[in-house]
Amino acid sequence: MERIGVVLCSGCGIGEALDMEALRGVAEEAGATVLTHPCLCSEEGLAAIRSALDSGEADALVLAGCSPRAQRHLFRFDPEKTVVERLALREMVTWTHPPGDEDTQALAEDLVRMAVAKVEAGKLPVRLQEEIEDAVLVVGGGLAGMEAALAAAGMGHDVVLVEAADRLGGALAGPPVHLPLAPPYDRPQPSRIPGLVEEVKAAGKIHVATSSRIVRITGQPGQFHVTVRGPEGEVELDVGAIVQATGARPYDASRLGHLGYGAFPDVITARELDLMLAEGRLARPSDGKAPQRIAFVQCAGSRDPEHLPYCSGECCAVTMRQILQVSRDHPEVETCVLYRDIRTPGQLEHLYQAAQEGAGAFFLKACVNGVTGNGNGRLTVRFEDSLLPGVEAMEADLVVLAVGMVPNSADGEAIRELHDAQHRAEHGESEVQKEEAQKIAEQLAHHEGTEILNLDYRQGPDLPVLRYNFPDSHYICFPYETRRTGIYAAGAVRAPMDPAQAVEDAWGAALKAVQCIEAARRGEAVHPRSGDLGVPELFLQRCTQCKRCTEECPFGTLNEDVDGTPQLNPLRCRHCGICMGACPERIISFPDYSVDAVSRQIGAIEVPEEDEEKPRILAFLCENDAYPALDAAAQLRRTWNPWVRIIPVRCLGSVNIVWIADALSRGIDGIILIGCTYGEDYQCHYIRGSELANTRLGNVQETLDRLALESDRIRLVELAHDEFQRIPGILDEFAESIGELEPNPYKGF
Amino acid sequence: MASLSLITPSPEIRDELHRRGGDTARRCFQCATCSAVCSLAPDDQPFPRRQMLMAQWGQIDRLAADPAVWLCHQCNDCTVRCPRNARPGDVLQAVRSMVIEGLAAPAWLGRLVGKARSTWPLLLGAPILFWVVLLGLTGHLAWPAHVTAFEQVVPHVLIYSVFLPVAAWVLAVVFIEGGRFWAFLGSSSPPRRGSFFGALLPVLGEIGTHRRFARCEAARPRRTGHFLLMWGFVGAAVTSGLLVVALYGFGMEMPLPLGHPFKILGNLSAIALVVGVVLLVVERWSQPRVSGATTAFDTFFLTVVFLVVATGVLSEVARLTLPGQVAGGVYVAHLSFVLTLFLSFPYSKFAHALYRTLAMTHERMTAAE
Amino acid sequence: MNDTAQLPVLVVGAGVAGLTAALEMAETGHHVVLAEREPVIGGRVARFHRYFPKLCPPTCGLEINARRLEENPRIELRLQTTVTGAQPVDGHWSVTLETAPVHVTGRCTACGLCTEVCPATVSDRLNWGLAEAPAIRRPFPNAWPQRFVLEREACPEGCRACVDACPYDAIDLKAGPGVEEMEVASVVVATGWRPYPLEKLPELGGGVLEGVVSNVQMERLAAPDGPTGGRILIPGTDREPRSVAFVQCAGSRDVNHLPYCSGVCCLASLKQALYVKEQLPECDVSLYYIDRRTPGRNEDFLTRVAGTQGVRLVKGKVGKVERNGDGLELTVEDAEAGKLLHEHADLVVLATGMMPETGDPFGLPRDEDGFAVSDPRRGLAVAGVAHRPADVAASVRDATGAAARALAAAGRRS
Repeated sequence: MERIGVVLCSGCGIGEALDMEALRGVAEEAGATVLTHPCLCSEEGLAAIRSALDSGEADALVLAGCSPRAQRHLFRFDPEKTVVERLALREMVTWTHPPGDEDTQALAEDLVRMAVAKVEAGKLPVRLQEEIEDAVLVVGGGLAGMEAALAAAGMGHDVVLVEAADRLGGALAGPPVHLPLAPPYDRPQPSRIPGLVEEVKAAGKIHVATSSRIVRITGQPGQFHVTVRGPEGEVELDVGAIVQATGARPYDASRLGHLGYGAFPDVITARELDLMLAEGRLARPSDGKAPQRIAFVQCAGSRDPEHLPYCSGECCAVTMRQILQVSRDHPEVETCVLYRDIRTPGQLEHLYQAAQEGAGAFFLKACVNGVTGNGNGRLTVRFEDSLLPGVEAMEADLVVLAVGMVPNSADGEAIRELHDAQHRAEHGESEVQKEEAQKIAEQLAHHEGTEILNLDYRQGPDLPVLRYNFPDSHYICFPYETRRTGIYAAGAVRAPMDPAQAVEDAWGAALKAVQCIEAARRGEAVHPRSGDLGVPELFLQRCTQCKRCTEECPFGTLNEDVDGTPQLNPLRCRHCGICMGACPERIISFPDYSVDAVSRQIGAIEVPEEDEEKPRILAFLCENDAYPALDAAAQLRRTWNPWVRIIPVRCLGSVNIVWIADALSRGIDGIILIGCTYGEDYQCHYIRGSELANTRLGNVQETLDRLALESDRIRLVELAHDEFQRIPGILDEFAESIGELEPNPYKGF
Repeated sequence: MASLSLITPSPEIRDELHRRGGDTARRCFQCATCSAVCSLAPDDQPFPRRQMLMAQWGQIDRLAADPAVWLCHQCNDCTVRCPRNARPGDVLQAVRSMVIEGLAAPAWLGRLVGKARSTWPLLLGAPILFWVVLLGLTGHLAWPAHVTAFEQVVPHVLIYSVFLPVAAWVLAVVFIEGGRFWAFLGSSSPPRRGSFFGALLPVLGEIGTHRRFARCEAARPRRTGHFLLMWGFVGAAVTSGLLVVALYGFGMEMPLPLGHPFKILGNLSAIALVVGVVLLVVERWSQPRVSGATTAFDTFFLTVVFLVVATGVLSEVARLTLPGQVAGGVYVAHLSFVLTLFLSFPYSKFAHALYRTLAMTHERMTAAE
Repeated sequence: MNDTAQLPVLVVGAGVAGLTAALEMAETGHHVVLAEREPVIGGRVARFHRYFPKLCPPTCGLEINARRLEENPRIELRLQTTVTGAQPVDGHWSVTLETAPVHVTGRCTACGLCTEVCPATVSDRLNWGLAEAPAIRRPFPNAWPQRFVLEREACPEGCRACVDACPYDAIDLKAGPGVEEMEVASVVVATGWRPYPLEKLPELGGGVLEGVVSNVQMERLAAPDGPTGGRILIPGTDREPRSVAFVQCAGSRDVNHLPYCSGVCCLASLKQALYVKEQLPECDVSLYYIDRRTPGRNEDFLTRVAGTQGVRLVKGKVGKVERNGDGLELTVEDAEAGKLLHEHADLVVLATGMMPETGDPFGLPRDEDGFAVSDPRRGLAVAGVAHRPADVAASVRDATGAAARALAAAGRRS
């Protein structure tokens, strides 16, 4: 930007602690028009800012007063007209450093210079204005899929509902009852499926395609192009967003040989019992006789590292429901439950109570370790660690295994890895590479042909999955956080859940799909930088096809053409800047956040001469967690070393190592990066940002060692948002360790 | 393959418990609050959580051999706190009634008393009929207008010739039942140590003071009633014994004067019985949550005790104030109810005196050093 | 219909569910009025230390949500506001919003001069009474909005210390309540929950014994912005506990208290067991349960905590907590061993459940446990724990679903 205005606030003690005139001088020297005000957030202060903008005096503003986290709603300006940078003189300088001190003043002056440099490099974003398709594609026509379709249609959107089977209904089709969707919770409820199918058919906005599969999906949110293959051949359609509600299936009980499944016909799964009860009968598969006693074996293959390590969350409740069904129609049948823990969380506890009180089932906590025939046509269920000492087994006529659920998902990333390995095995550069690739391909062979969405994405044809193959969000606060913008998983495919939860989940996912379409129409980013306008620009003339951006983007934004040149899909982009941090050629930038802008900020830091013994330290702080933590520390008036210069970044993953080189060559003595925790329980809002930064930094540190420049000068620290007590100490301790090193030898060069 | 120890659910037994007021066992989800709040549960063999599970599955054989069933005083601390309202106190009471019936000798008498809900007219009526017939046959139905001594209504010789054999019979039954029970207990627990009487003596001391009962919280008022009732019975029994000695050993005249020590003892016992039974009945009515479900098992027992005490006191008063025919009638009724009490002792709730004493003795003999 | 489409959607409650519903609707393009009873947003979760199973801080998500909220011009936030009346009108609602007196106005810069001069202290509600705080204060460091809050009732007669100290004229001691009538297209009720009162559990020491705290209090004891600065101490002392016991189902799954299961307490206690072990590695931790309820992939969390050295899980519900000398004694049966235990603990945490906030002016149908049921035909959707017991992820999920229902009910085409 060209006309830069700096507004200095002297309120909240800033004016008393700093030499405001000197500060004004610094800003003017940097080429800005300067205004001071005793209280910027007052009505008068805001009016002064507005008039500066309206008069055309300034098209970019540095508001030097309080933190960008304070009074944010007052400082909202049209992002298409003005570049605004809020500088936290109060929090980062005067609340946290001694007033009137030389170092404090130097800090404030540096920060002002840096802020001016940043807005100078800033550009106004151009709002994307694309043709946006309104329709929602729902994949899967079970309970969740149909509810999602109704939800989207209810919000006024056309829906295409694609179901692989020849009719709607999914896993709950068939049985006349299921777990309660609403109160009362103490009894099975008549199936919602038939009514739902009618509603879907009656809703004019829903187009149903049964016996159909997705052949290919290309494009981006608002502009997905979908090819569906159905009984009448392939159909092409355009949709704006996608809900994947492909549900779950029972765990393959044939792997539960130790529980007699397969060996004894009278050992059946809960699903098989449901189908039997749906036909209105209760008979042993072996001889067709009515069972006198049924043993329900809970956690059959669940909570078992050999099978499903997780708990499916609904099997206990399903057993209670089945007990209630059996006892109503066959009161003479004895129902016995062998369990490890009864898990009927929430109000499903009422169902457990009913199974005990109403149905009179027999319950025994025990670890079942085998089911065998007893030689007389009955089955013996053996167990240990029961609550009745000395008892080892019971006999039953029918054994029902409560097996868990397995998501109908595809591991998009693994499939991509498989295809890459297959490609390398064929076209590898050496025999060794081919062999290795062949090995990987064999290990991943079971993913072959599992595709569901068939996304034409560089990073794989399906949603990435978390542990145990659920394409879930990793975030507790944001369960619809998705790594493929515009595509949302819903229902039991996303996480183990019961029908009532699946219904709410379907509505939630439908809203997110609709929301993504609307955001695309407005040309805005979706969560977590919702509303953000600036999309990355790629200066492809200088691209070396290194593919780091296409591989490291957490959201699959970039595809590659045949040469490996990245192809941007801006509506998939979530504006994190990881591609910018990845690019060794520095050709990726955002209008308001770029390699150049930060380099200029670094360049604006005044580095004292070596003999002043005042090292300078640069701190890159993740704006989501580390910066707010430091801000909170400031509100508690915690103090830290005044040599530190802070640059907030969108994500540590957006830190380009050229900044480190810039800083070191400017004579800055130490660089610290503070970002979100990574690893299995990562807190990075962009999945692997801080982890990527750590890897990149590792490479830099090796280089430093080679240059005989201590690698200790660079450090990465993981920090959670609430660790505001810890962060000042981290800075102090780092500053101290830098103070112990010789000054950066590049000082003054 | 060695034979496995199987558990077999028994809906029949559970239905039987249901009939006896123990249907709530099915609600139990084994949280173990009951054992933790029980003031009487020993640390190494706590109850009644495990007993609830056995009851839920209808494992009556295991329960019959379990001393914990009797160590429970039904103070209902568990019932008050049970999160599922599974009422362990009631369940164990039902179990006890089943065990009493199961151990009964002869079994048919056990069943007869056990089904008091329907057999009560017979149980109460037969002894009356017996006395009327006996008095008729022996020509003792013509009572004077004023009874100065009950010798005039029923001769002592007749009383003793009925009650002594009956007492002997009851004693024999107690021995048989107690022996069976003792054997059951022994089959399921660590070996006993020490002598039976060496253990029994302190147990009697404990029972005499109701020390254990005093630890109950929810049922504190019941403890007083029970204490009075028990000592009232002991007093009445001692008085009866003393009277036999007085009558035949020393040839004393009956009735004894009011100031006679024997008379005083008898009257004190009667007062204890009256107060005790009233306390228990009132508690049962006013505090149904704490006192547990009231079943035929309890009602029959309480009714008999009440009738014995009421007719006993009434006959004493009636002899002095009412016409001979009335006083005689009341007295004969009293004797009849006492007979019911005697005969039903091994089969009714009264039998807990036997089983609990044995269970406590067993507990003492198997306790860790 | 068209008129209704112009009206905003009302969200009642700005806890994690209400906040989510409001944000999701606003980011879809709709106008939203968000009414919150308290002077800060975030509800219950703002007072949690960490979420299970990731052990990540709730403020991290609230940071993002606060930013979304402040930057979105389509949300109008009303703090200290309750909905006191509601009338259905032509397929939408006419509601009455009552705002409690706002003594600290929007002019507040959060500079903190007022707190320094405030002579009055109050029991800190936001810390469940575990600490005292000045009558005018920031409720906690990350409280949003960044504005001070005055508990006017605590002011000494005639005191004007804060008014005189404030350079920005932001304090109005005479402020009165405000009432506003408003038409809204549909409503999301996200009024949340209250913890089951500790005082109802005297046999477990609740409200009687000093070393007995509830799980929500334990969150504050562990939180860096809590009354102890995040140090886990025995309340009323400055001693660290050497043993901590967690009593599961304290007043839950209990016909004498709450008959249902809150579905989160097992996981909350497992999480808190890690708080203790993280801070006090030598401390013995035991957890007494009826059933270990860690559904879904949270099973991994159970495995992790159960495998932590010095953490013991015992099947058996605690019957009694009593004072014993310097500490506390718990009586519980280890049901698997069939033995009664008399366990010592310095700190006892009662895992109390969640009760829905009841009472709404919309006449929502309620189930037998008091949870509200959505009524889409009347344009009413219920989100979060007002609807059913749920953890944070499920509340947020349900809130997003409720937002969709509210939009569909509003009959709007997005």
